[in-house]
Amino acid sequence: MGLKAYLNDIVEAVVTTAKGMRITARYGVDPKEEVTLQYPEERWEIPQGYRGFLHNDIKTCTACTMCVKVCPIDCISLESVRGADKKMVLASYDINIGRCMYCGLCVEVCPPKSLKHTSGYEMASVTRGELILNFIAEDAAEIKARVARQVAEATAKAEAQAAAKAEAQAAAKAEAQAVAKAAEVPSSGTAEGEKKE
Amino acid sequence: MEALALSLVNAVPLLAGVPLWAVTLLLIVAAAAVILVFALTFEGVGSFVLRKVAGDIQARIGPNRVGPNGILQFVADGVKLVLKEDIIPANADRLLFKLAPYFVFVGSFAAFVVVPFGVGLIAADLNIGIYYVMAVTSLVVIGVLLAGWASNNKWALLGGMRAAAQIVSYEIPVGMALIPAVLIAGSLSLQDIVHSQGGLLGIFGWNLFHNPFSFFSFFLYFTAAQAETNQTPFDLPEAESELVSGYNVEYSGIRFGLFFLAEFGDMFIVAALSTACFLGGWNVPFFHAGTLPWIWGNLLSLGVFLAKAFTMVLIMMWVRWTLPRLRVDQLMRMSWKYLVPLTFVNLLGVSLWLLVFKGKGIPGMVASLFG
Repeated sequence: MGLKAYLNDIVEAVVTTAKGMRITARYGVDPKEEVTLQYPEERWEIPQGYRGFLHNDIKTCTACTMCVKVCPIDCISLESVRGADKKMVLASYDINIGRCMYCGLCVEVCPPKSLKHTSGYEMASVTRGELILNFIAEDAAEIKARVARQVAEATAKAEAQAAAKAEAQAAAKAEAQAVAKAAEVPSSGTAEGEKKE
Repeated sequence: MEALALSLVNAVPLLAGVPLWAVTLLLIVAAAAVILVFALTFEGVGSFVLRKVAGDIQARIGPNRVGPNGILQFVADGVKLVLKEDIIPANADRLLFKLAPYFVFVGSFAAFVVVPFGVGLIAADLNIGIYYVMAVTSLVVIGVLLAGWASNNKWALLGGMRAAAQIVSYEIPVGMALIPAVLIAGSLSLQDIVHSQGGLLGIFGWNLFHNPFSFFSFFLYFTAAQAETNQTPFDLPEAESELVSGYNVEYSGIRFGLFFLAEFGDMFIVAALSTACFLGGWNVPFFHAGTLPWIWGNLLSLGVFLAKAFTMVLIMMWVRWTLPRLRVDQLMRMSWKYLVPLTFVNLLGVSLWLLVFKGKGIPGMVASLFG
């Protein structure tokens, strides 16, 4: 190493150190450079389209099971029964939020737009079971039993109505027949022919 | 100390019956306690300031939870260190392991004895002041090496070895960079060195501006001293990323605390020595603090000295958070190929200057031109 290179090294060391110290001094003096967010007290503003926890508005949910089918990790599960008015009734709707990877496919696919991302991102639990979100508080068996009862009632009512109707019809028919018989006893053939028509 | 004790006995009639040696001993203990309390306070507040400065430079906030603005953080840290379990590894050399922190601690703290805090504020104005500091801080090497060896841990051993190599190498440029101040004052006593920089020239009386060689000498000393006390960017013995924590990796609790305190003590010693040797020490610009009443002169000079020393400490922190750590070979090259030759050239330059100009500095010559 020549003397020139040697002195150059020294000058370079001094110059680069000074340069670095100027930069750190700028950061040290300028309070606006601070990037720390003191989390529990200060929070980020949640951006639009943020994919937080899932929430299902069960009043508008049609239990179409699209979300269940599209979920890549099968973290959504639902049970449903056909109600008295022929619509599906949810018995249970669970999302295992601990498994969810927030891909958002279920939200995109939801036909009545009842499943949505919220802005929530804080959850802590002692057991993994607590991470399963139950959107229907009532017991599934109870709902099923209730719906079955309703369906049974409805069918009974419908049957009763049908029976009454049939009875009424039968009565009407019988009456009509009686009237016809009384009116045209001889020409029963025609009456039969009319009936066939 | 004995003279002070004698004057105290003469001044206070109550002490007339007490033997002189007892009063002297009491005074020595009191002085030691004062210095220890000062050092501990400095270390506590220093560690807090260090973390705050680090936060500012790295665009963070730093500690701000304990007390208003986090000011009590160092108290919490201290309590934690004292209360923690003192673990000694099963295969460690127990005696050496226990002994090592004290060597480091003593090596760092003994240097406080000759730090000239003010006109009369010096625990012992030794006539070999600088030599004493150089000698006693060498004790740190033994402590660090012992800690590394006794831990029976490869990281600790590597750290200890590195520390020994580094401290021994850098002691040469440190000593050589301090000698210009000794030459100018004509004395090894730190108090004499500070006196030699006083006078009516103000800051131009400082050794820093005495001549071009002493100017460079200050920067060489500052660089070499940072390396000698294992400060970042020369903290190879501790190198967190490669050696976990180096020689103190197996230490916990109060023993680790001693290493930690010694590190900050070293920091202050470097700042105090550079202040005393190059930046005018406790000299108040434009008049002699010794002419004031004892208490005011001392308070004023103490304030000036501490302001300078703390500024130096801040600059050390600034450097610390700016530069990345050197490699081992770079560190050794810097010492043997750059700092050692440069300090020798400087020493030669200062000697020649003093010989040629009869001990006068540039500001002195300029002042004598104008009468």
